[in-house]
Amino acid sequence: MPAAAADLVVIVSSKNPVAALRTEQVADIFLGQVGHFPDGGNAIALDQAVGSAQRDEFYVKVTAKSPALVKAYWSKMIFTGRGQPPREAPSSTAIRKLVADNPALIGYIDRSALDSSVKPVLMLH
Amino acid sequence: MFFQQSANCPVTTTVAVIDASAIASATSASKAAGLRLSVLLIGLACAAFAHADDGMSKQGWSLQGFGSAGAAYSNNTDADYVTSALKPEGVGASGRWSTGLDTRLGAQLNFTANNKWSAVLQVVSEQHLDRGYRPAVEWANIKYQVSPDLALRVGRIALPMFLAADYRKVGYAFPWARTPVELYGGIPLTSSDGIDATYRFNRGALKNVTQGFYGRTHQALPEGSGLEAERLAGFTNTTEYGAASVRLSMLSADVSIDVNVLRSFFGRLRQFGPQGAVLADRYDLNHKRVTAVSIGASYDPGRWFVMGELGRKQTHSLLGDTTAFYATAGYRLGNFTPYLTYARVRADSATTEPGLNLAGFPPAAAGAGAVMNGYLNALLKTVRAQRTISLGARWDCMTDIALKLQLDHVTPQDGSQGSFAHLRPGFRSGRSVNVASAVLDFVF
Repeated sequence: MPAAAADLVVIVSSKNPVAALRTEQVADIFLGQVGHFPDGGNAIALDQAVGSAQRDEFYVKVTAKSPALVKAYWSKMIFTGRGQPPREAPSSTAIRKLVADNPALIGYIDRSALDSSVKPVLMLH
Repeated sequence: MFFQQSANCPVTTTVAVIDASAIASATSASKAAGLRLSVLLIGLACAAFAHADDGMSKQGWSLQGFGSAGAAYSNNTDADYVTSALKPEGVGASGRWSTGLDTRLGAQLNFTANNKWSAVLQVVSEQHLDRGYRPAVEWANIKYQVSPDLALRVGRIALPMFLAADYRKVGYAFPWARTPVELYGGIPLTSSDGIDATYRFNRGALKNVTQGFYGRTHQALPEGSGLEAERLAGFTNTTEYGAASVRLSMLSADVSIDVNVLRSFFGRLRQFGPQGAVLADRYDLNHKRVTAVSIGASYDPGRWFVMGELGRKQTHSLLGDTTAFYATAGYRLGNFTPYLTYARVRADSATTEPGLNLAGFPPAAAGAGAVMNGYLNALLKTVRAQRTISLGARWDCMTDIALKLQLDHVTPQDGSQGSFAHLRPGFRSGRSVNVASAVLDFVF
């Protein structure tokens, strides 16, 4: 398989009733515009580490923003008191473990790190 | 990277007390400001006791900051180019280089108690009219999230007048070296002490935020003078649809500026009988109703962006009435974003005034009256009429750091001195001046 940066999946806990999300819904949650899943349950975004290939690719594909634009966006949000960026976890495995345990969390991981503890809700190609 | 931590209550509460009292003494704040800080501290302390962390939500403390290191250059020695009425320093006549225009440092302490209560304290150090850089409290408010869509705040709150108004000091967040002076310079005030309510309404891809505020603000000026804006009320509505955003704003305030030279000038003007009183009433700055409206729009699909704003201001005073607009377009080539801006401000009120009719006055009084007329006209020249073409580039050279270079071709118009001050005899309205700026913006 070629360096599979092209295969990211957005995941929620297998305990979460949400089945699928659209790109805009994922963007809203990760940009702090919406704090809940479509069914009303609390949604808390979890990011990959800053500077990671997964993170940069995720934001370009989901929000059409480069890393610098994402940072500029959060600077606006933070310094106008409107929000704080998502917390981070160091790797796909770490994110999968955290998301599996908490139905409120939503993250994105390499497709190869998927297992049955989490549920893919959006594929990013 | 953003520093964010959850710590135990007693320690962090103490930190906040030390922080804020240091700020209060550093700013030699008025009793009122001290009281507001006390209120904030009590809020923070209460919030700290209610503090409980489940490990994954955003409860707890975070400290974040922003700053800009700027240098501007102009070889025009006939006047100083100034970017804000609240900045003493310009570039040009008093020195070819200036670091005072754009340099600032800000720090923000956030506290989130739970999903209902949070508080924020933002302190900014930048050059003031007294040329010092003492830190000032830009924001200090407590927020109560009534429901996921309705939030109330009390304390010192940013004035949300223009598209970039509530983050106009955070250079990293916008493309330019500085917000366009033609529009943003029209309202140099950036915060209000009072309350606001924000209501969020989402329907599919349409996101709407409505904000109403009421408060007052006091800006200390040198030599014991001050600017007072009371009954400061306004409304802002921001609508986003995909990459498009539109903001509509309105603001109204009762403004007084108490400056010694103006007070004595208008006092003397009133000594010239009824016509002096009429002129003084027309131009003085004692409880004048100031209103401003603006509409701004931006479209930013990622690869490129355009934005533009139009604003009108009426002051019923020597500050004059103006209409201002700008349009900006930029294109992103990797980490490099060249942009072009055209900005213009037009005076809607008189920039010259016949003044006192001195026919029939004895020679000595007529001479004094002519001096008054000259001074009044000099004041009216400060009502802005100007256009600027700016060419610049933002380079996101490192994570959290952007370097901007900007060239401004500035032309004051219609007899106005535009955004120039400290005029020398060689200054001519209508003659263009070039200003070059380099600004390094960062967030941490």
